[in-house]
Amino acid sequence: MYKYVLNRLLALIPVILVTSFLIYWAMSLTEGDPALMIAGDNATQEQIDQIRHELGLDQPFLIQYLNYMKGMLVGDMGTSYVTNKEVFSTFMHYLPNTLILGGSAVIVATIVSIPLGIYTAIHQNTWKDTAGMVFALFGTSMPNFWLGLMLIIAFALHLRMFPTGGLRGWSSLVLPSITVGFGLAALITRITRSSMLDVLRQDYMTTARAKGCSRDRVIYRHALKNALIPIMTAIGLQMSLVITGSVLAETVFSWPGIGRLVFESITLRDTPMVTGSIILCSILMCLINLAVDLAYAFCDPRIKAQYSKKG
Amino acid sequence: MKKLLTAACAAMMVMAIAGCGGGDKKEEKKADAKPAAAAAGVPAHKEKLIIGADGDINNLNLQKQQDAANNVILKNTHQTLVFFNNGSQGKDRFVPGLATDWKFVDDTHIIMNLRKDVYFNDGKKTPMTAEDVKFTLDMAMKNVVKSALAGFVKCTVKDKYQVEIEIKTYNNEFIQSLASVPLSIQSKKAYDDGVKEPWFIGTGPYKYEKWVQGEYCRLTKVKDYWGNNLPASDNFSQGISDVIEFRPMKEASARVMALQAGEIDVCINPPISDLKFLKEDKKITVDEKTGTRLFYFAFNVEKKPWDNKKLRQAVACAIDKKSVLDAALNGKGTLQKTILNRGLWGFYDEMPGYDYNLDRAKKLMAEAGVTGPVNVSLTYATAGGPYEQIATVIQANLKQIGINVKLVPMEQAALKAACKDGKQEMFIWRWNEDSKVDFVYRDLFYTGSGSNYHHFADKKADQMIDDVATLKDQDKRMKTGVELQKYLVDECPQVPLYIANLVIAYNKDLKGQYFYGGGNHDWRHAYIAK
Repeated sequence: MYKYVLNRLLALIPVILVTSFLIYWAMSLTEGDPALMIAGDNATQEQIDQIRHELGLDQPFLIQYLNYMKGMLVGDMGTSYVTNKEVFSTFMHYLPNTLILGGSAVIVATIVSIPLGIYTAIHQNTWKDTAGMVFALFGTSMPNFWLGLMLIIAFALHLRMFPTGGLRGWSSLVLPSITVGFGLAALITRITRSSMLDVLRQDYMTTARAKGCSRDRVIYRHALKNALIPIMTAIGLQMSLVITGSVLAETVFSWPGIGRLVFESITLRDTPMVTGSIILCSILMCLINLAVDLAYAFCDPRIKAQYSKKG
Repeated sequence: MKKLLTAACAAMMVMAIAGCGGGDKKEEKKADAKPAAAAAGVPAHKEKLIIGADGDINNLNLQKQQDAANNVILKNTHQTLVFFNNGSQGKDRFVPGLATDWKFVDDTHIIMNLRKDVYFNDGKKTPMTAEDVKFTLDMAMKNVVKSALAGFVKCTVKDKYQVEIEIKTYNNEFIQSLASVPLSIQSKKAYDDGVKEPWFIGTGPYKYEKWVQGEYCRLTKVKDYWGNNLPASDNFSQGISDVIEFRPMKEASARVMALQAGEIDVCINPPISDLKFLKEDKKITVDEKTGTRLFYFAFNVEKKPWDNKKLRQAVACAIDKKSVLDAALNGKGTLQKTILNRGLWGFYDEMPGYDYNLDRAKKLMAEAGVTGPVNVSLTYATAGGPYEQIATVIQANLKQIGINVKLVPMEQAALKAACKDGKQEMFIWRWNEDSKVDFVYRDLFYTGSGSNYHHFADKKADQMIDDVATLKDQDKRMKTGVELQKYLVDECPQVPLYIANLVIAYNKDLKGQYFYGGGNHDWRHAYIAK
């Protein structure tokens, strides 16, 4: 098991190398000069050239990239062109906010979707199933910025239960969590339903029922545990997506998260900030995926045995 | 199943309950519970003034940034040698600030005397002296704000409260440069002593308390501010609100709802579509006035066929500016003929210009020698203004005179680089300037200037731009300025479209605010009256 974890951690090295190169390359291909953005509208050509020189932007792409990687080797991810702050510390400033939003959205999604997925599966082809699937379709189709604005109008403006946005106490977490979580819930509901249907059709389910197991015991003890692996995969993937993909929700709720940070940095051509943030996000995603893989072992003894054999 | 559903409901309830007891409300209650400052001459007010800003605060190190969103904050904590009395005209526009007076000894040397009663908000009341001025200006020449100090050669300390500034050549607007917020005077001692983040130490009525990136920047009133005894009418008189908090809220609708919910006191730039509802809200005032931001359509005159002046004029006549303004801002703006930003010295808009006239446009096309259809691309930014709407109207307008326009939306950074490199044919852009005319004439139209996206090169225009900058006879200078505007409109590298209105919505109890067309608002004396 430990060896497996170590191998997975070592696999992060090529991930960092490939990600950093691709991002650096993509940023170099993108039109737009960071020096122009920094210098402002009134700058002369001489000043723009000076800034370009100071930032090393007048050097060939490969030299720029190697200089960046040299810094990375000693733990220096560079300094933002715009804020003049260290990339790592800026990322770490935003990260907890994103993890809180992502975590709470996944909790909201799980609380809603797993019971609903089970419910629709055991009432397959009834109006209850149809209603559940309509809900899932609604959640998948609805743009989350629109849902966010509707929730703000209802719960912040009229009922005054929650703040409209910002990061001020637990109250400000509720509406963004529901907004992001609702979209996730739709997907997880569909996966839970289909996974449960697959398991419920298995022979051992029939055997369990024939042996006199209660309905609830068959569903929650035998079926759910076996149906969990695809559900956990979906949750893990969604968590990874939420980390960088909540730009719209973060903007609507003025939530200072990683998505907004990366988006703003791309707009301003802040290459060190974009590259550093994406490398750190890649590492984070790898770690989340590793955690999901390890969690499989707790659901399925066969996978645990495989890990033990390897380790 | 029932148990699971019960658990889900319980969790939602817990979240809702936790939400209702949020930290923010407690903080607000705490803030309101404090009595308003009872200092003499200070009206009763709510402790905190909260401003919902439309731009991100990204750098508060004065000389390392040039963003209006940062400068609006820094104006409260720092002060400049010359005070820009935005909104005033003539001699009252640029008045003494930290400098009491100045005099040109000759064309290139200025003697400037400083106030002797100013000290920094560093807890030690370190006096502001000529050394600090020299230190600040010298440091500026090594930073991005160098462009604001064009023409500066050196600063010499003559005595503790007097400096001599040397400039390359005489310039009518050099003194105005010293009113630029990034050139606010900083403490040399703070840098010498190795104070962490020394740029936060200023001489203003407020001092920096906390900046949480992406969330807020909080300023607190300086209790022992050097200007506490100045009369309220003085530009440097003390602040009123005990705390001013700036919250970046980029989503306009969210900003409006935060204002309606009472979470913020001021909403900068509410969306035009929401104004009707805001005006119906009795707790909110909507302030609308003419701004200074000019949106324009322009040509890259280096590219054929746009080197043809008659053809440029034909296009100008084919653009229905009123429809453009209606589509872009629902009519909330002022149509304009001249290339200068409204409110600037020498603004002149009386020239004939180019009204929407298709017959004239077709005649000019014929005079230009263009007979067949013209295919052309129009580049514009995808964010930062209603460029898409403007482009769509212009596309339809130009179709009527046989010009087929392909729309090319671009991200702002890409657009600036493309325009600078001369890759564009036609483009839509904006320019905002509220203090120096040279920042319009020279930056946009002078041969070889970095922001001359028109790639316009004209010796006559260059000479007039230099004359406006250097002529000492103000009548002659004014005449040249008007002449220059007429000439540029006639040459038509740019078709000015409209000046967007400045719109701000705020708590009806807000007092002491100063709103300026360029967006560089002044909050130092603003407060929510109790």
